[in-house]
Amino acid sequence: MTNALVGTALLTRLALRRDRVVAAVSIAALVLLCFASAAATSGLYPDEGARVHAAEAINGSPAIVALYGPILDVRSEGELAMTKMTVLYAVFLAALFVVLVRRHTRVEEESGRTELVGGGAVGRSAPLAAATVEAVLLATVLGLLTAIANTAAGLDVAGSLAFGAVWAGTGLVAAGVAAVAAQVSASARTCGAFAAATIAVFFMLRAVGDTGPGWVSWCSPLGWNTQARAYADPRWWVLALYPVLTAGLVGVAALLRSRRDLGSGLLAARPGPARGSPRLADAMTLALQVHGTAIALWTLAVAVLGVVFGMIAPGVGDLLDSGVAKDLIDKLGGLLVAAVLSMNAVVISYFAVSVVARASSDEASGRTELVLATSTSRSRWLAATILVALVGAGWLMLVTGVGLEIGYVATSGPDIGDLVTAALAWVPAVWVVAGLALLGFSLRPGWTVVGWGLPLAFLVFTLVVELLELPSWLGDLSPYSHVPQVPAESWDWGAEAGLLAVAAALLGVAWWRFTERDIG
Amino acid sequence: MIRIRGLVKTFGAFRALDGLDLEVTAGEVHGFLGPNGAGKSTTLRVLLGLLRKDAGEVLLFGGDPWREAAELHRQLSYVPGDVSLWPNLSGGETVDLLIRMRHGDPTTARRDELIERFALDPTKKTRAYSKGNRQKVALVAAFATDPDLLLLDEPTSGLDPLMEQVFNDCVAEHTARGATVLLSSHILSEVERLADRVTIIREGRTVESGTLESLRHLHRSKVVATVSGAVPELAGTPGVHDVAVDGSRVTCTVDPDALPTVLAALTTAGVVALTSTLPSLEELFLDAYRQPAQAGR
Repeated sequence: MTNALVGTALLTRLALRRDRVVAAVSIAALVLLCFASAAATSGLYPDEGARVHAAEAINGSPAIVALYGPILDVRSEGELAMTKMTVLYAVFLAALFVVLVRRHTRVEEESGRTELVGGGAVGRSAPLAAATVEAVLLATVLGLLTAIANTAAGLDVAGSLAFGAVWAGTGLVAAGVAAVAAQVSASARTCGAFAAATIAVFFMLRAVGDTGPGWVSWCSPLGWNTQARAYADPRWWVLALYPVLTAGLVGVAALLRSRRDLGSGLLAARPGPARGSPRLADAMTLALQVHGTAIALWTLAVAVLGVVFGMIAPGVGDLLDSGVAKDLIDKLGGLLVAAVLSMNAVVISYFAVSVVARASSDEASGRTELVLATSTSRSRWLAATILVALVGAGWLMLVTGVGLEIGYVATSGPDIGDLVTAALAWVPAVWVVAGLALLGFSLRPGWTVVGWGLPLAFLVFTLVVELLELPSWLGDLSPYSHVPQVPAESWDWGAEAGLLAVAAALLGVAWWRFTERDIG
Repeated sequence: MIRIRGLVKTFGAFRALDGLDLEVTAGEVHGFLGPNGAGKSTTLRVLLGLLRKDAGEVLLFGGDPWREAAELHRQLSYVPGDVSLWPNLSGGETVDLLIRMRHGDPTTARRDELIERFALDPTKKTRAYSKGNRQKVALVAAFATDPDLLLLDEPTSGLDPLMEQVFNDCVAEHTARGATVLLSSHILSEVERLADRVTIIREGRTVESGTLESLRHLHRSKVVATVSGAVPELAGTPGVHDVAVDGSRVTCTVDPDALPTVLAALTTAGVVALTSTLPSLEELFLDAYRQPAQAGR
């Protein structure tokens, strides 16, 4: 076994070196978000009465509980302050660890770099071990910084430590999930989808458990986040569940790794057709073929998410009627539907970014060169990428809206307006983010990586500006802040047209730059 | 076909191509030789309109490859040195896609025959292919149609000797019907076997260019002779170098101009055995790199 681990320390250093920017910026953003939430709470809810009132209102709405989890102690300041952080933003934290672990395991293997490394004095399990060690290190740092930030923002020390541990634990479990996912399929993209789906199932399980049979929440590590009651007499033993589960997952991953060949997955690769379909003949059909599976999986995921939240949402109508709840909703940043849609818009922005990132990796690996050496022009090649990114993102928002509507109507919720229109309102903002990612790619292929940070950065930025009451024009820098929060607000043609104009301008510059620059 | 004059391409402060010249005429197989990093692939990328030239003249089929890339590419096939494919497509799908992207027809008998000759399994996903098999996919796609020009960038680097022979046959078939081939390589025997003319580059500049014959004329023959009489005093004779005497055996390298003088001297000394070998391309190659670019000619 020790033989299989030779070189782990070296690979860990390499991983940390490669991730220094992505990890540092993401962790800083997440910690800042906690600090802003914690610091803002005492201003929003000056006394215990106001806090209890707000917490009870949250607990009273199944829809909001489904999204954020319940507040187990309504008197606790910390529990209220961390409402959004405990579960919902922990999903982004989980995403970060999935990205990092996948990057150092399956992506490396698929690119053939693991083979290069494996030829040296490096053990078979060393890449997996290095990714795990890196995840442990980063999770520890993230947990400590979160605890310090929350304490500095005025929350109690023990609770902040427990909360930091909860976040660190979430990161660890996500790393374990990614480690197992990396063993399953030979494709890095399928591994990413597998890990993302697992996190989504965790989220859904606890949404079901928190609004229905409580034991279901315990089946999900994200449910533990709430059940640990970090700021209300912490259940310290819950914190032990995370490392135990992580160790189990990493153990399974190591076992799977030792039983398979380098470069293969658990399932033997199926043979493909010996001949190409006549439809697969240009850059556009190629892009559809390449992204087809991803689009199908995304469609399924957002459809399920839409229907489930549409079914939970009818609580919203009641909230709209009561003055107190309206007040609460404003404080929480919008209606549940708007909140679900805004989260979905951020997540779907990642789909658009992933399409741009794929274009960038095509260029780096030489596939673009192969295509551009045929009679495919640069414009057509770029158009295929842009169309898949923009139309795909628009399609996914549409599916979200239709899913919400179906779920909502099925449970005969009160009329709150057209949810499909509400979903489509977010499309121009997603396109702006896609345009920015594309602009980065067109200016310099290496800058595509910035695109991965954009959706979360804009989200965090808007929230921090709001919570810390910074000048509002700062928040306006995010495309998401301009979207009319239909159905809570009325449709705003001006804002939508403005976003579309910005997106068009970004795409125009990206297009011009791409046709002028060197390829490869 | 191809005409490059004084081509300059810089990447930041690094001058990848520094006044490169290359002329390929219709119907020939042109060997494009140089060590790793000499600028062969960069030249091909400029020629394909993937990179923008900084200075110089580049004509492909008489057109500007940067402005008219897509139109010009209809008449050519390109095989990159490092072939990277779409992992979830099968080999057969990829071949057909590449042919269709050049507006060719993949439903021909030649496509199937080439897959057979290159011993390619077209149902395998390209993820599972080795470097050699990925290269075969690109080669089959390139050879399956009848382009006017084949741009091949170190096309045999991943092929085994058997497949190299198939490759040579394919090149011969295409030149027989009048196609032009630009073959970049550092495998000299391959170029020697296939090429009519060669261009040797080094550090982004053309060092030598011409037919293999004319290049050899510029170079010294190696002469080994055994004489019955006294070994003639060759050292110091203009055009004669590296003289070594071992008993009655004399070895030297001789410039073409000095060959009559040396032969006369050896005949006088009573030559018993004589071998004179032309420099192989290997030696030309080493020669071209050993000297600074300016003194190469």
